[in-house]
Amino acid sequence: MARAEAQDAGAGFDKRIAENQRRVFQIAYSVLGNSADAEDVAQEAFLRAYQKFDSLREAEKFRAWVNRIVFRLALNRRRGYRRRLVRDSAWQVTETATMVDGARDAEQRVMLDRMRREIESLPEKFRSVLQLSLAEEMDAADVGEVLGIPAGTVRSRVHTARKLLLEVMK
Amino acid sequence: MKKECNEWKDQLLETALTGTAAKGFEEHLQSCADCGAELKELRARREQLDTLLPMMAQGAGPSGDFRARVLAAAESAREGKHARPWRVWVLVGATAVIAAALVAGLTLPRKNGGMVPPNELAGAQKLAEWRAPSDSLLRTPGLELLKATPKLGDSYLQVPKTDEEE
Repeated sequence: MARAEAQDAGAGFDKRIAENQRRVFQIAYSVLGNSADAEDVAQEAFLRAYQKFDSLREAEKFRAWVNRIVFRLALNRRRGYRRRLVRDSAWQVTETATMVDGARDAEQRVMLDRMRREIESLPEKFRSVLQLSLAEEMDAADVGEVLGIPAGTVRSRVHTARKLLLEVMK
Repeated sequence: MKKECNEWKDQLLETALTGTAAKGFEEHLQSCADCGAELKELRARREQLDTLLPMMAQGAGPSGDFRARVLAAAESAREGKHARPWRVWVLVGATAVIAAALVAGLTLPRKNGGMVPPNELAGAQKLAEWRAPSDSLLRTPGLELLKATPKLGDSYLQVPKTDEEE
């Protein structure tokens, strides 16, 4: 009986991973810019979701919960980076070497690196909405749900963030 | 850009982003070549931004075995969670056995105290009554003399008078 329940939960969880893994990874990646760390954080988010799976069986609930958790975990991981960055100046080299984004050539990669740094230096409220909006299937309502703000505020902040980027990316 | 054009800076950015200029700014653009050039440059930069921004995360995905790894880790966590109560019970059982052994070790000798076999009891009594052979050798006739210390001028040969003689 218990075994059958466990199998049922396992199958349901497997389905939820399949539905969410790409977006969850991208949220982590947009914050961390590094695939190895993004995978670590995404896995941690799914494991936490598994522990609470009884209350997260509903697809929408699972999606919203895991979006929130992965973003929070990624931010925590990034704070760790910053501390490491002070000690290890070679971080930037490693970061560039492990990128898995769609950059096609060296020039584009340089531009992406620069844009990542510019996004990092944006005020937190603009940076968060932009990073979350970068992931696939994350509309203003989804971003708002993660940050606890209305969708309209998300749209307005994304616009301001883009304006700030446009100004600094000369 | 001319100094007086600074007031249009925000409008330049807005127009570059949205693609539509506000009425007042549109009129300014018609008469200001500098702002026209600036807007052209900003529009090119916005196009670049539109290309690059999605690349920051979109298109990226976890490795092929990610799902399998998460499932394996979840399964392992579940087994660990189930194994934990079993370990606790083993620990509790072992502690109980040790405690029982300690209690038994302390109380059993007391309980057996009254049940010492008669031959062991007789042997112990015999041992308690045993005197060394030297004890009987020391019981000589002069023993009584040695027990009393003679006064100055007395001799050991003067046997002290007993109560009967007095």
